[in-house]
Amino acid sequence: MNEENIVEIKDLRKSFDKGKVTALNGIDLEIKKGEFVSITGPSGSGKSTLLNMIGALDRADEGSVHVAGYDLTLKNDLSEFRSREIGFIFQLHNLIPNLSVLENVEIPLFERNLSGEEMRERALKLLEYMGLSDKVNRKPTELSGGERQRVAIARALANEPSIILADEPTGSLDSKNGQLILEHLRELHEKEKVTLIMVTHDMNVASLANRTIEVLDGRIKT
Amino acid sequence: MSFISLIVKNPFRNKTRSILAIIGIAIGIATIVALGIVTDGLKSSTEDTLKAGGSDFTVMESNISDMLFSSIDEDYVDKIMETDGVEDAVGVLTAVQPIGDNPYFIIIGIDPAKLYLSEMEITSGSAFSSEDAKELVMGKVAAENLNKTVGDSLTLNNTDYKIVGIYQTGNLQQDGGVFMSLDNAQEIQGEEGKVTMIYVKIEKDANVEQITQSIEDKYGNDLTTVASLEDLQSVDQGLNVIDTASWAISLLAIVIGGVGVINTMIMSVYERTREIGVLKAVGWKNRRILSMILGESVVLTLFAGVVGIVMGVVAIQVILAMGMSGIIEPIYSLDVFLRGFLVALIVGLVGGFYPAYRASNLPPTEALRYE
Repeated sequence: MNEENIVEIKDLRKSFDKGKVTALNGIDLEIKKGEFVSITGPSGSGKSTLLNMIGALDRADEGSVHVAGYDLTLKNDLSEFRSREIGFIFQLHNLIPNLSVLENVEIPLFERNLSGEEMRERALKLLEYMGLSDKVNRKPTELSGGERQRVAIARALANEPSIILADEPTGSLDSKNGQLILEHLRELHEKEKVTLIMVTHDMNVASLANRTIEVLDGRIKT
Repeated sequence: MSFISLIVKNPFRNKTRSILAIIGIAIGIATIVALGIVTDGLKSSTEDTLKAGGSDFTVMESNISDMLFSSIDEDYVDKIMETDGVEDAVGVLTAVQPIGDNPYFIIIGIDPAKLYLSEMEITSGSAFSSEDAKELVMGKVAAENLNKTVGDSLTLNNTDYKIVGIYQTGNLQQDGGVFMSLDNAQEIQGEEGKVTMIYVKIEKDANVEQITQSIEDKYGNDLTTVASLEDLQSVDQGLNVIDTASWAISLLAIVIGGVGVINTMIMSVYERTREIGVLKAVGWKNRRILSMILGESVVLTLFAGVVGIVMGVVAIQVILAMGMSGIIEPIYSLDVFLRGFLVALIVGLVGGFYPAYRASNLPPTEALRYE
């Protein structure tokens, strides 16, 4: 694996429904450390499946997937990889409703052997960074859509991941809140030098990235 | 936030469902606890009866299913007295008759000269004087329940017996009945020349085991000796039946409670499928998800354990208040409460395992796609 690359994928194939539905049909992809890449394509093109493969949420049928030095086709339990290297941001915030904003951000830290105080400090710092210091004790239902997504970004950053994977992060927001979230993500990429891979079907959003990859029928369009 | 506090918080997201599940399990635990309190009281009372008057062991008929069915010839009292090491022996006839509100009113017939062996304390009046006199002494509890005092009479089998004294022994069964002469008791029961059991007191340095062995060797065909509650359980099936029933009810409570917990936890996991997907995405190990769901199940059942124990104690108090205080002697032992908690814990672990296993093995992408 080239040392400059954080993601190296070769001839990745994935199908569902016992092979009846082909999602990825021979993907070759390299992403450099610190890059901001957007993945676009129509619905059902396989872009979210590709993102799930990079984040080790799903397994390849064929081909090789190397991410942050891990060979994702080899190991059975990839929870440690996800905990150390990946931060996910979903279209829907997916916050836990009965926990406070602060507790939601602490959730990924359970696997990191930190004391309660250390967990709290790190979560508070991230919420301050996201401009939510005054909302730490609120429940997700007491926040606006944009605020919830900012909490979700703070949660994704909790484990100090090397890659942030965002699947339509502005898809459920109005344009004003969507813009705010994109600014946060761009700032994150520029200041923290974190690798950002974002799936979107919106070409305006995609244009913010350093590089745009278009997926069509399970292949990267060249 | 600690992992434990997360586990304690989660089961109460859907308060109505959790409270209903807790009540369902608590009813089972309450049954176990209430039955345990009554059974322990019964065992203690039976043990007191066996050791009446500080006797060292009791002799009763062999091959019987319940000690009250024992019937042996009165002649054996003298034969036992002749056994080496025996200091004293007295034959007693125990009968049960429904009197007033008490369906288990105990009548104990004993030689007046050996009344000292019963270790009773006469609190008013005196002991009955002779074999022939139509007299009896009444237990304190029976006197209170029947509103009788010294000088009143009690009719048994159409014969009036004068109450000459009120006694207490501290044993609910005995204090809820009467003592009278052996002849009178035999007449009431129509069992002339028979006794139910023989209380035996041994000499100071004599060995109980040697003496009981000697009696069993000589009269083993007709008699058996009982020196402890364990001995009694080997000859008296009544206590065994209660013990077995108690365990059967515990098992039933585990099964019913377990099914309730499985249902509650499966619903909870089902509703939180997407959330479980997120937990996997942020790096939670399968083991942690399993521990969380199993922990939630145990929290639910331990709450049910506390509620069930309180319900069990309250149920006993209600039963006592309904006029059963002369029959039931509750014993609130730590053992009974621990048994309630143990059952709650088992229900939590057994009922929670399958939902926890299912949650921990959910594929993350499927869980995240769940609507």
